[in-house]
Amino acid sequence: MAIVTISTSNSRPPPINEATLIGWMRMHLFSSPLNSILTILTTYIIYLTVSGVWVWGVVDAIWIADTRRECFDINISGACWAGVSAWMENIFYGRYPREEIWRIDFGLFLLFLWMAPLWMPRVRGKVIIGMTTVFLYPFLAGYLFSGGDKGIFMSVMVSAAIVGIIANTLNATLGVLADRSLSNFVNNKLGFGNAPEEKQQKVFLIFLAVCFVLAYIWQSGWQAEIVSWTKWGGLFLTLVISGIGIASALPGGIILAMGRRSKLPVIRVLSTAFIELFRSVPLITVLFMATTMFPLFMPEGVVLNKLVQVIIAVCLFNACYMAETVRAGLQAIPKGQAEGAHTIGLGYWGTMGLIVMPQALKHMIPNIVGSFMGLLKDTTLVSIIGLFDILGMLRSISRDTPWLGLHKEPLVFGAMLFFIICFAMSKYSRHLEAKLSTGHKV
Amino acid sequence: MSDTQNQNNRSQLKSAISSEVMIDLNKVNKWYGDFHVLKDIDLIVHKGERIVVCGPSGSGKSTLIRCINHLEEHQEGTIVVDGITLDKNLKNIDHIRTEVGMVFQSFNLFPHLSILENLTLGPVWVRKKPKAEAVETAMMYLERVKIPEQADKFPGQLSGGQQQRVAIARSLCMNPKIMLFDEPTSALDPEMIKEVLDVMVELAETGMTMIVVTHEMGFAKTIADRVIFMDEGDIVEENEPNAFFDNPQHERTKLFLSQIL
Repeated sequence: MAIVTISTSNSRPPPINEATLIGWMRMHLFSSPLNSILTILTTYIIYLTVSGVWVWGVVDAIWIADTRRECFDINISGACWAGVSAWMENIFYGRYPREEIWRIDFGLFLLFLWMAPLWMPRVRGKVIIGMTTVFLYPFLAGYLFSGGDKGIFMSVMVSAAIVGIIANTLNATLGVLADRSLSNFVNNKLGFGNAPEEKQQKVFLIFLAVCFVLAYIWQSGWQAEIVSWTKWGGLFLTLVISGIGIASALPGGIILAMGRRSKLPVIRVLSTAFIELFRSVPLITVLFMATTMFPLFMPEGVVLNKLVQVIIAVCLFNACYMAETVRAGLQAIPKGQAEGAHTIGLGYWGTMGLIVMPQALKHMIPNIVGSFMGLLKDTTLVSIIGLFDILGMLRSISRDTPWLGLHKEPLVFGAMLFFIICFAMSKYSRHLEAKLSTGHKV
Repeated sequence: MSDTQNQNNRSQLKSAISSEVMIDLNKVNKWYGDFHVLKDIDLIVHKGERIVVCGPSGSGKSTLIRCINHLEEHQEGTIVVDGITLDKNLKNIDHIRTEVGMVFQSFNLFPHLSILENLTLGPVWVRKKPKAEAVETAMMYLERVKIPEQADKFPGQLSGGQQQRVAIARSLCMNPKIMLFDEPTSALDPEMIKEVLDVMVELAETGMTMIVVTHEMGFAKTIADRVIFMDEGDIVEENEPNAFFDNPQHERTKLFLSQIL
């Protein structure tokens, strides 16, 4: 007998289960007697741990005191947060002169101002914003933090960065408010609104050049007071080292990964050797090499800044790890993608830059952000070679006379700081993955 | 389609062929390691000519057309495309690739770009066209392959047949002189095969020079000016479609046709 359906049946929504909290708990926590016992047991263990920490860290804790002795007198079983808060400025800024601390805050504010447009809709030229953040901002911030005589190179870079931040902010404002770019705005004001694109670009470049000259003249009129790098410390120093490390690891890693996959033997062998050399040595060894061995190879009379040596070491070390992450991403891209790009006439750089690398990096976001978090935490190793980064600062609290022996609380505080930063990075990476995902995988 | 209609169509189409040589292969040889995959291949394709290449798997037909836009390197012999000799000169290779479009069995669309961006990428970055003009051309070709409404989607959201039509449109956006098809329907369901073949027949009617590697014999009968049968790296038989299918000369061809038809 034949069965013929005249019309197709209507789609129905999927069945709803676990709709209520009670239903969910029944299904997942109390589905059998054994599971119920395990649930209750686990809850009890969690309660014991959390309540202990709660009582020590909050209920019995002492927030205001002048010495550790005073803390003991008030309540010996509570945490002595007074010691941490007394050292708060040191933890964040190290031994940076107190009256100059605004420079650090201002530098961070500039970074925020520079990067914020990247997340705003309607803003034009995000690639350029990203590039200038990596290539111009560090010079401005570097000078802001260290001060002193600028020299010609630093003067040029600082002026360029000043033009960059102003143009970037105006561009972002125009983008959000009027949905247009700064270039477009300037051209309209100067009467080139209807000129072809290339002409407008030229006009805008000339405009920027004029701004650059003005900025150069302005910046030659003042000079920030010098602050030696030996005074840098705390979370500030940690963020400087890891920030530069993060900003340079990705470009460095991309270059090394492409080198390792190159068809040119010299480049391939050099990249491979470089990567394997750094990967097979612990970071602490690289740091010691950089600070104690490296100066021996330098010509006589050249005195290197220890901080610069450390930063170079961290950058090279992490670029090598990043190179392998990027290479893994590149290997996951099917050969057909490059072939497809070739057939529409794209050469090596076009294929890499537009087709293969964006996909490889997208696939590797979890690993890349993981490396960044590792880098941030590894930076604390510099406290071993005598830089007072955040870990160095936290540990020196216990050597300060009024707070002698106060180990636990500063380290707990440090752990919380790291958790906040790393958790934020992790969340952002998940957000980025979701934003960049383009439907089903092909 | 009846046989008479078929005949009429082809006689109309054939008038487009000119004497200008687009592709000239002369004694082309290629090896994968010790495996001799192309053996002394000679082939001349004129402008407007449509050639179907068939043969058992491993016979070298894909390799042959991949050599024409240098996705594979041949080791002996000469390949001249549109008057330019393929050699180690990267400039020549890049130039030929802009003139030769190619469609793959696995589509090879760029999954991180929208359909429209897939189509405008080549014109904007290689041909240096203004964005607006590239978008206009892209929409025109999307309409020609009948999926303009998918422009803002991503390749992963389209069916196989739609993806392959986008791939064809992507190649056409570069305004190529020659189109190569490497088993364009082999990865598709029967329903989708038809929609892709329809687009290819329409393209053939515009007078495009085409080389198609396919097992769709109905398609070959409809549009081909010549059918080439390859086996073990040799061109075994080469003839007009009617003669080829009705009266194959070589034993190997007869065997192949008896299995496939």
